[in-house]
Amino acid sequence: MQDNRLVVMLEIAFMTGLAIIFSYIEISAPWAMGGSISFIMIPIFIIAFRRGWKAGVTTGFLTGILQMLFGAIIVHPIQFIIEYPVAYAVLGLAGLFVKGDHFKKAVPAALITLGVAFGTLLRFIDHFGAGLIWFGEYAPAGMPVAVYSAVYNASYLVPEMLITIVVVILISKYRPQFFYEARRMQSAA
Amino acid sequence: MFEHVVIGQYLPGRSYLHKMDARSKLASVFLLIIIVFMTNTWAGYGLLWAGAVLVYLLSGVSFRYIRKGMFPIFLLIIFTFILHALFTQEGDVLVSVGVFTLYEGGVEQGLFIAFRLLLLVFFTSLLTLTTSPIDLTDALEQIFTPLKRFGVPAHEIALMMSIAIRFIPTLLQETEKIIKAQSARGADFSKGTWKERSQAFVALLVPLFVRAFKRAEDLAFAMEARGYNGGEGRTKLRKLTWTLRDSAACAAVVIFGICLFFFRS
Repeated sequence: MQDNRLVVMLEIAFMTGLAIIFSYIEISAPWAMGGSISFIMIPIFIIAFRRGWKAGVTTGFLTGILQMLFGAIIVHPIQFIIEYPVAYAVLGLAGLFVKGDHFKKAVPAALITLGVAFGTLLRFIDHFGAGLIWFGEYAPAGMPVAVYSAVYNASYLVPEMLITIVVVILISKYRPQFFYEARRMQSAA
Repeated sequence: MFEHVVIGQYLPGRSYLHKMDARSKLASVFLLIIIVFMTNTWAGYGLLWAGAVLVYLLSGVSFRYIRKGMFPIFLLIIFTFILHALFTQEGDVLVSVGVFTLYEGGVEQGLFIAFRLLLLVFFTSLLTLTTSPIDLTDALEQIFTPLKRFGVPAHEIALMMSIAIRFIPTLLQETEKIIKAQSARGADFSKGTWKERSQAFVALLVPLFVRAFKRAEDLAFAMEARGYNGGEGRTKLRKLTWTLRDSAACAAVVIFGICLFFFRS
Protein backbone atom coordinates (compact mmCIF):
# COMPACT_ATOMS: atom_id res chain seq x y z
CA MET A 1 0.00 0.00 0.00
CA GLN A 2 1.32 3.36 -0.93
CA ASP A 3 2.26 5.73 1.85
CA ASN A 4 -0.46 8.33 1.65
CA ARG A 5 1.40 10.81 3.82
CA LEU A 6 4.24 10.97 1.30
CA VAL A 7 1.82 11.61 -1.57
CA VAL A 8 0.18 14.45 0.37
CA MET A 9 3.61 15.92 1.16
CA LEU A 10 4.60 15.86 -2.48
CA GLU A 11 1.29 17.32 -3.59
CA ILE A 12 1.91 20.15 -1.12
CA ALA A 13 5.38 20.64 -2.62
CA PHE A 14 4.04 20.78 -6.18
CA MET A 15 1.20 23.12 -5.28
CA THR A 16 3.72 25.38 -3.55
CA GLY A 17 5.78 25.42 -6.75
CA LEU A 18 2.71 26.29 -8.81
CA ALA A 19 1.72 29.04 -6.36
CA ILE A 20 5.17 30.60 -6.74
CA ILE A 21 4.87 30.44 -10.54
CA PHE A 22 1.36 31.91 -10.42
CA SER A 23 2.60 34.77 -8.29
CA TYR A 24 4.39 35.89 -11.45
CA ILE A 25 1.20 35.92 -13.53
CA GLU A 26 0.18 39.34 -12.39
CA ILE A 27 -2.43 41.74 -13.49
CA SER A 28 -0.43 44.86 -12.92
CA ALA A 29 -2.30 47.61 -11.16
CA PRO A 30 -1.37 51.21 -10.51
CA TRP A 31 -1.71 50.65 -6.78
CA ALA A 32 0.72 47.72 -6.89
CA MET A 33 2.91 48.89 -4.05
CA GLY A 34 3.83 45.41 -2.95
CA GLY A 35 0.32 44.13 -3.57
CA SER A 36 -1.00 43.15 -6.97
CA ILE A 37 -3.64 40.82 -8.33
CA SER A 38 -2.27 37.36 -9.05
CA PHE A 39 -3.38 33.74 -9.18
CA ILE A 40 -1.21 32.78 -6.22
CA MET A 41 -4.19 31.77 -4.06
CA ILE A 42 -5.60 29.19 -6.51
CA PRO A 43 -3.23 26.25 -5.78
CA ILE A 44 -3.54 26.86 -2.03
CA PHE A 45 -7.35 26.66 -2.19
CA ILE A 46 -7.25 23.64 -4.49
CA ILE A 47 -5.11 21.63 -2.09
CA ALA A 48 -7.15 22.87 0.91
CA PHE A 49 -10.36 21.54 -0.70
CA ARG A 50 -8.63 18.37 -1.88
CA ARG A 51 -6.68 17.34 1.21
CA GLY A 52 -8.16 19.35 4.04
CA TRP A 53 -7.13 22.43 5.94
CA LYS A 54 -3.86 21.09 7.34
CA ALA A 55 -2.45 20.53 3.85
CA GLY A 56 -3.81 23.92 2.79
CA VAL A 57 -2.21 25.74 5.70
CA THR A 58 1.12 23.97 5.10
CA THR A 59 1.05 24.87 1.39
CA GLY A 60 0.33 28.51 2.21
CA PHE A 61 3.04 28.60 4.86
CA LEU A 62 5.64 27.15 2.48
CA THR A 63 4.57 29.51 -0.30
CA GLY A 64 5.17 32.47 2.00
CA ILE A 65 8.58 31.18 3.13
CA LEU A 66 9.66 30.47 -0.46
CA GLN A 67 8.60 33.93 -1.57
CA MET A 68 10.83 35.24 1.17
CA LEU A 69 13.77 33.12 0.03
CA PHE A 70 13.29 34.32 -3.53
CA GLY A 71 13.56 37.90 -2.37
CA ALA A 72 11.13 39.65 -0.07
CA ILE A 73 10.47 43.17 1.03
CA ILE A 74 11.30 43.20 4.71
CA VAL A 75 10.83 46.43 6.61
CA HIS A 76 10.07 45.18 10.10
CA PRO A 77 10.83 41.93 11.96
CA ILE A 78 7.19 41.21 12.76
CA GLN A 79 5.91 42.48 9.43
CA PHE A 80 7.81 39.85 7.46
CA ILE A 81 6.43 36.97 9.52
CA ILE A 82 2.81 38.08 9.26
CA GLU A 83 3.01 39.30 5.67
CA TYR A 84 4.69 36.24 4.23
CA PRO A 85 4.15 32.86 5.94
CA VAL A 86 1.05 33.75 7.94
CA ALA A 87 -0.79 35.69 5.22
CA TYR A 88 -0.79 32.65 2.92
CA ALA A 89 -1.11 30.00 5.63
CA VAL A 90 -4.50 31.35 6.75
CA LEU A 91 -5.87 30.80 3.22
CA GLY A 92 -5.59 27.07 3.83
CA LEU A 93 -8.25 27.29 6.53
CA ALA A 94 -10.75 27.38 3.65
CA GLY A 95 -10.42 23.59 3.83
CA LEU A 96 -12.48 23.68 7.04
CA PHE A 97 -15.59 24.22 4.89
CA VAL A 98 -15.21 20.91 3.12
CA LYS A 99 -16.06 18.03 5.41
CA GLY A 100 -15.47 14.34 5.01
CA ASP A 101 -18.96 13.74 3.59
CA HIS A 102 -18.12 15.62 0.41
CA PHE A 103 -15.74 12.99 -0.80
CA LYS A 104 -18.38 11.12 -2.79
CA LYS A 105 -19.52 14.08 -4.83
CA ALA A 106 -18.32 17.39 -6.15
CA VAL A 107 -17.89 20.22 -3.68
CA PRO A 108 -20.85 22.63 -4.06
CA ALA A 109 -20.04 26.01 -5.57
CA ALA A 110 -21.55 27.75 -2.54
CA LEU A 111 -19.06 26.06 -0.22
CA ILE A 112 -16.16 26.97 -2.51
CA THR A 113 -17.31 30.59 -2.49
CA LEU A 114 -17.63 30.54 1.29
CA GLY A 115 -14.23 28.92 1.76
CA VAL A 116 -12.40 31.27 -0.58
CA ALA A 117 -14.14 34.30 0.91
CA PHE A 118 -13.28 33.14 4.43
CA GLY A 119 -9.62 32.53 3.58
CA THR A 120 -9.32 35.87 1.82
CA LEU A 121 -10.98 37.64 4.74
CA LEU A 122 -8.36 36.19 7.09
CA ARG A 123 -5.62 37.29 4.69
CA PHE A 124 -7.16 40.75 4.60
CA ILE A 125 -7.16 40.97 8.41
CA ASP A 126 -3.55 39.86 8.39
CA HIS A 127 -2.38 42.47 5.86
CA PHE A 128 -4.52 45.07 7.61
CA GLY A 129 -2.73 44.33 10.87
CA ALA A 130 0.64 44.48 9.10
CA GLY A 131 -0.39 47.87 7.70
CA LEU A 132 -1.10 49.13 11.20
CA ILE A 133 2.29 47.92 12.40
CA TRP A 134 3.97 49.48 9.39
CA PHE A 135 2.37 52.85 10.01
CA GLY A 136 2.79 52.58 13.74
CA GLU A 137 6.51 52.25 13.09
CA TYR A 138 6.97 54.58 10.16
CA ALA A 139 4.20 57.18 10.04
CA PRO A 140 3.93 60.28 12.21
CA ALA A 141 1.24 60.21 14.88
CA GLY A 142 -2.25 61.40 14.05
CA MET A 143 -2.73 59.92 10.58
CA PRO A 144 -5.97 58.02 9.77
CA VAL A 145 -3.89 54.89 9.25
CA ALA A 146 -6.62 52.30 9.81
CA VAL A 147 -8.78 53.68 6.99
CA TYR A 148 -5.86 53.87 4.61
CA SER A 149 -4.70 50.33 5.39
CA ALA A 150 -8.23 48.92 4.96
CA VAL A 151 -8.89 50.68 1.64
CA TYR A 152 -5.49 49.84 0.22
CA ASN A 153 -5.63 46.14 1.10
CA ALA A 154 -9.23 45.73 -0.02
CA SER A 155 -8.42 47.41 -3.34
CA TYR A 156 -6.41 44.42 -4.54
CA LEU A 157 -7.74 41.59 -2.37
CA VAL A 158 -11.39 41.95 -3.43
CA PRO A 159 -10.72 41.64 -7.19
CA GLU A 160 -8.23 38.84 -6.50
CA MET A 161 -10.84 37.02 -4.42
CA LEU A 162 -13.51 37.34 -7.14
CA ILE A 163 -11.17 36.01 -9.85
CA THR A 164 -10.08 33.15 -7.57
CA ILE A 165 -13.70 32.19 -6.77
CA VAL A 166 -14.66 32.11 -10.46
CA VAL A 167 -11.61 30.10 -11.48
CA VAL A 168 -11.86 27.57 -8.62
CA ILE A 169 -15.59 27.04 -9.31
CA LEU A 170 -14.90 26.53 -13.03
CA ILE A 171 -12.14 24.06 -12.20
CA SER A 172 -14.46 22.13 -9.89
CA LYS A 173 -17.05 22.07 -12.68
CA TYR A 174 -14.70 20.68 -15.33
CA ARG A 175 -12.73 18.46 -13.00
CA PRO A 176 -14.73 17.58 -9.87
CA GLN A 177 -12.41 14.62 -9.27
CA PHE A 178 -9.75 17.01 -8.00
CA PHE A 179 -11.71 17.46 -4.83
CA TYR A 180 -13.02 13.97 -4.10
CA GLU A 181 -10.83 11.40 -5.86
CA ALA A 182 -8.08 11.61 -3.26
CA ARG A 183 -10.47 11.57 -0.32
CA ARG A 184 -12.35 8.56 -1.63
CA MET A 185 -9.12 6.64 -2.05
CA GLN A 186 -8.15 7.63 1.45
CA SER A 187 -11.39 6.40 2.95
CA ALA A 188 -11.28 3.16 0.97
CA ALA A 189 -7.78 2.36 2.16
CA MET B 1 3.62 35.20 -21.35
CA PHE B 2 6.55 33.66 -19.48
CA GLU B 3 9.43 34.56 -21.77
CA HIS B 4 10.84 37.19 -19.45
CA VAL B 5 10.04 35.63 -16.12
CA VAL B 6 13.02 35.26 -13.83
CA ILE B 7 12.01 33.55 -10.63
CA GLY B 8 14.12 34.52 -7.67
CA GLN B 9 16.99 36.95 -7.42
CA TYR B 10 19.95 34.65 -6.77
CA LEU B 11 23.09 35.48 -8.76
CA PRO B 12 25.75 32.76 -8.69
CA GLY B 13 29.23 34.04 -7.91
CA ARG B 14 32.50 33.42 -6.10
CA SER B 15 32.70 36.41 -3.77
CA TYR B 16 33.34 36.36 -0.02
CA LEU B 17 29.60 36.55 0.65
CA HIS B 18 28.83 33.80 -1.87
CA LYS B 19 31.30 31.49 -0.20
CA MET B 20 29.89 32.06 3.28
CA ASP B 21 27.72 29.41 4.89
CA ALA B 22 23.99 30.15 4.57
CA ARG B 23 23.57 29.75 8.34
CA SER B 24 26.13 32.44 9.15
CA LYS B 25 24.59 34.74 6.53
CA LEU B 26 21.13 34.28 8.04
CA ALA B 27 22.48 34.94 11.54
CA SER B 28 24.39 38.03 10.37
CA VAL B 29 21.39 39.50 8.57
CA PHE B 30 19.23 38.86 11.62
CA LEU B 31 21.75 40.72 13.82
CA LEU B 32 22.06 43.53 11.28
CA ILE B 33 18.27 44.03 11.31
CA ILE B 34 18.41 44.44 15.09
CA ILE B 35 21.34 46.85 14.75
CA VAL B 36 19.48 48.93 12.16
CA PHE B 37 16.51 49.25 14.50
CA MET B 38 18.78 50.21 17.39
CA THR B 39 20.48 53.09 15.58
CA ASN B 40 19.13 56.56 16.20
CA THR B 41 21.92 59.10 15.61
CA TRP B 42 23.64 60.60 12.57
CA ALA B 43 26.96 59.06 13.60
CA GLY B 44 25.31 55.67 13.95
CA TYR B 45 23.73 55.85 10.50
CA GLY B 46 27.04 57.04 9.05
CA LEU B 47 28.76 53.95 10.45
CA LEU B 48 25.94 51.71 9.19
CA TRP B 49 26.29 53.12 5.67
CA ALA B 50 30.03 52.51 5.84
CA GLY B 51 29.27 48.93 6.88
CA ALA B 52 26.77 48.57 4.06
CA VAL B 53 29.35 49.75 1.50
CA LEU B 54 31.87 47.26 2.88
CA VAL B 55 29.36 44.39 2.66
CA TYR B 56 28.44 45.50 -0.86
CA LEU B 57 32.11 45.39 -1.92
CA LEU B 58 32.43 41.90 -0.40
CA SER B 59 29.36 40.67 -2.31
CA GLY B 60 30.68 41.27 -5.83
CA VAL B 61 27.08 41.92 -6.96
CA SER B 62 26.64 44.60 -9.60
CA PHE B 63 24.78 47.64 -8.31
CA ARG B 64 22.26 47.27 -11.15
CA TYR B 65 20.74 44.18 -9.50
CA ILE B 66 20.52 45.79 -6.08
CA ARG B 67 18.79 48.79 -7.60
CA LYS B 68 16.36 46.49 -9.38
CA GLY B 69 15.57 44.64 -6.16
CA MET B 70 15.03 47.86 -4.24
CA PHE B 71 12.91 49.61 -6.83
CA PRO B 72 9.46 48.41 -5.61
CA ILE B 73 10.10 49.84 -2.16
CA PHE B 74 11.49 53.13 -3.41
CA LEU B 75 8.15 54.91 -3.81
CA LEU B 76 7.19 53.82 -0.34
CA ILE B 77 10.41 55.22 1.10
CA ILE B 78 9.93 58.58 -0.61
CA PHE B 79 6.29 58.65 0.53
CA THR B 80 7.26 57.93 4.15
CA PHE B 81 10.00 60.56 4.03
CA ILE B 82 7.56 63.23 2.79
CA LEU B 83 5.01 62.28 5.47
CA HIS B 84 7.56 62.70 8.22
CA ALA B 85 9.12 65.82 6.81
CA LEU B 86 5.73 67.52 6.60
CA PHE B 87 4.06 66.34 9.78
CA THR B 88 6.80 66.37 12.41
CA GLN B 89 6.99 69.80 13.94
CA GLU B 90 10.16 69.94 15.97
CA GLY B 91 13.25 72.13 15.91
CA ASP B 92 13.86 75.22 13.81
CA VAL B 93 11.77 76.15 10.78
CA LEU B 94 13.76 75.52 7.59
CA VAL B 95 11.36 76.60 4.81
CA SER B 96 7.77 77.78 4.83
CA VAL B 97 5.68 77.64 1.65
CA GLY B 98 1.97 78.39 2.00
CA VAL B 99 0.41 75.98 4.48
CA PHE B 100 3.48 73.72 4.50
CA THR B 101 6.26 74.39 6.95
CA LEU B 102 9.39 72.30 6.94
CA TYR B 103 10.99 71.84 10.35
CA GLU B 104 14.51 70.67 11.00
CA GLY B 105 13.29 67.87 13.25
CA GLY B 106 10.90 66.67 10.53
CA VAL B 107 13.62 66.42 7.90
CA GLU B 108 15.89 64.62 10.34
CA GLN B 109 13.13 62.21 11.31
CA GLY B 110 12.24 61.60 7.67
CA LEU B 111 15.85 60.90 6.72
CA PHE B 112 16.31 58.51 9.64
CA ILE B 113 13.22 56.53 8.66
CA ALA B 114 14.24 56.48 4.98
CA PHE B 115 17.76 55.31 5.92
CA ARG B 116 16.35 52.59 8.13
CA LEU B 117 14.10 51.26 5.36
CA LEU B 118 16.85 51.46 2.75
CA LEU B 119 19.32 49.62 4.96
CA LEU B 120 16.83 46.89 5.88
CA VAL B 121 15.92 46.24 2.26
CA PHE B 122 19.58 46.44 1.24
CA PHE B 123 20.81 43.83 3.73
CA THR B 124 17.94 41.42 3.13
CA SER B 125 18.22 41.65 -0.65
CA LEU B 126 21.98 41.03 -0.49
CA LEU B 127 21.17 37.83 1.39
CA THR B 128 18.85 36.53 -1.34
CA LEU B 129 21.16 37.82 -4.11
CA THR B 130 24.15 35.85 -2.84
CA THR B 131 22.50 32.73 -1.39
CA SER B 132 20.60 30.16 -3.42
CA PRO B 133 17.11 29.27 -2.11
CA ILE B 134 18.17 25.66 -1.72
CA ASP B 135 21.08 26.64 0.58
CA LEU B 136 18.74 28.84 2.59
CA THR B 137 16.34 25.91 2.92
CA ASP B 138 19.12 23.68 4.24
CA ALA B 139 20.14 26.38 6.68
CA LEU B 140 16.57 26.86 7.90
CA GLU B 141 16.20 23.10 8.36
CA GLN B 142 19.25 23.02 10.61
CA ILE B 143 18.20 26.10 12.55
CA PHE B 144 14.76 24.62 13.19
CA THR B 145 15.89 21.06 13.93
CA PRO B 146 15.93 21.67 17.73
CA LEU B 147 12.21 22.48 17.46
CA LYS B 148 11.55 18.83 16.51
CA ARG B 149 11.13 18.16 20.20
CA PHE B 150 8.06 20.40 20.13
CA GLY B 151 6.57 18.59 17.16
CA VAL B 152 7.83 20.86 14.37
CA PRO B 153 8.53 18.56 11.40
CA ALA B 154 11.68 20.42 10.31
CA HIS B 155 12.88 17.68 7.97
CA GLU B 156 9.54 17.23 6.19
CA ILE B 157 9.13 20.98 5.72
CA ALA B 158 12.63 21.29 4.29
CA LEU B 159 12.00 18.33 1.98
CA MET B 160 8.80 19.87 0.62
CA MET B 161 10.55 23.20 0.12
CA SER B 162 13.51 21.62 -1.69
CA ILE B 163 11.17 19.67 -3.97
CA ALA B 164 9.13 22.80 -4.70
CA ILE B 165 12.31 24.73 -5.56
CA ARG B 166 13.67 21.87 -7.66
CA PHE B 167 10.45 21.55 -9.67
CA ILE B 168 9.67 25.23 -10.23
CA PRO B 169 11.64 25.33 -13.52
CA THR B 170 10.01 22.06 -14.63
CA LEU B 171 6.52 23.32 -13.80
CA LEU B 172 7.29 26.58 -15.56
CA GLN B 173 8.28 24.72 -18.71
CA GLU B 174 5.15 22.66 -18.47
CA THR B 175 3.05 25.81 -18.13
CA GLU B 176 4.64 27.23 -21.28
CA LYS B 177 4.01 23.99 -23.13
CA ILE B 178 0.33 23.88 -22.13
CA ILE B 179 -0.11 27.55 -23.05
CA LYS B 180 1.25 26.78 -26.52
CA ALA B 181 -0.85 23.64 -26.87
CA GLN B 182 -4.06 25.40 -25.85
CA SER B 183 -3.26 28.41 -28.04
CA ALA B 184 -2.90 26.01 -30.96
CA ARG B 185 -6.42 24.80 -30.16
CA GLY B 186 -7.70 28.36 -30.22
CA ALA B 187 -7.52 29.47 -26.59
CA ASP B 188 -6.78 33.17 -26.26
CA PHE B 189 -5.39 34.42 -22.96
CA SER B 190 -5.11 38.08 -23.78
CA LYS B 191 -8.30 38.90 -25.68
CA GLY B 192 -12.02 38.35 -25.33
CA THR B 193 -14.60 39.08 -22.71
CA TRP B 194 -13.95 38.48 -19.06
CA LYS B 195 -15.81 35.17 -19.22
CA GLU B 196 -13.91 33.91 -22.27
CA ARG B 197 -10.62 34.78 -20.70
CA SER B 198 -11.30 33.01 -17.41
CA GLN B 199 -12.34 29.96 -19.41
CA ALA B 200 -9.08 30.11 -21.33
CA PHE B 201 -7.24 30.20 -18.00
CA VAL B 202 -9.18 27.20 -16.75
CA ALA B 203 -8.11 25.38 -19.91
CA LEU B 204 -4.55 26.12 -18.83
CA LEU B 205 -4.97 25.35 -15.14
CA VAL B 206 -6.82 22.03 -15.34
CA PRO B 207 -4.11 20.18 -17.33
CA LEU B 208 -1.46 21.86 -15.21
CA PHE B 209 -3.02 20.56 -11.98
CA VAL B 210 -3.64 17.11 -13.48
CA ARG B 211 0.04 16.87 -14.44
CA ALA B 212 1.22 18.19 -11.08
CA PHE B 213 -0.85 15.66 -9.10
CA LYS B 214 0.33 12.87 -11.40
CA ARG B 215 3.92 13.94 -10.94
CA ALA B 216 3.50 14.00 -7.15
CA GLU B 217 2.20 10.43 -7.22
CA ASP B 218 4.99 9.24 -9.53
CA LEU B 219 7.62 10.87 -7.37
CA ALA B 220 6.13 9.25 -4.25
CA PHE B 221 6.40 5.83 -5.94
CA ALA B 222 9.95 6.55 -7.04
CA MET B 223 10.99 7.68 -3.57
CA GLU B 224 9.43 4.66 -1.89
CA ALA B 225 11.05 2.34 -4.40
CA ARG B 226 14.38 3.82 -3.31
CA GLY B 227 13.58 3.26 0.34
CA TYR B 228 12.63 6.72 1.51
CA ASN B 229 11.06 6.50 4.91
CA GLY B 230 11.19 9.76 6.73
CA GLY B 231 13.84 11.92 8.30
CA GLU B 232 15.59 9.70 10.85
CA GLY B 233 19.20 8.86 10.00
CA ARG B 234 19.15 10.28 6.49
CA THR B 235 22.41 11.50 5.01
CA LYS B 236 22.71 14.57 2.84
CA LEU B 237 24.07 15.21 -0.63
CA ARG B 238 24.72 18.87 0.02
CA LYS B 239 26.48 19.61 3.28
CA LEU B 240 26.77 23.04 4.81
CA THR B 241 30.27 23.76 6.09
CA TRP B 242 31.04 26.41 8.66
CA THR B 243 34.52 27.82 8.08
CA LEU B 244 36.75 30.45 9.62
CA ARG B 245 35.25 32.88 7.12
CA ASP B 246 31.85 32.46 8.78
CA SER B 247 33.09 32.81 12.33
CA ALA B 248 34.99 35.95 11.27
CA ALA B 249 31.91 37.47 9.61
CA CYS B 250 29.64 36.78 12.59
CA ALA B 251 32.23 38.13 15.02
CA ALA B 252 32.59 41.26 12.89
CA VAL B 253 28.84 41.85 12.93
CA VAL B 254 28.68 41.40 16.72
CA ILE B 255 31.60 43.81 17.25
CA PHE B 256 30.00 46.25 14.82
CA GLY B 257 26.76 46.07 16.82
CA ILE B 258 28.57 46.71 20.12
CA CYS B 259 30.38 49.73 18.61
CA LEU B 260 27.11 51.12 17.29
CA PHE B 261 25.49 50.68 20.68
CA PHE B 262 27.77 53.42 22.03
CA PHE B 263 26.60 55.78 19.29
CA ARG B 264 23.00 55.68 20.50
CA SER B 265 21.60 58.80 22.02
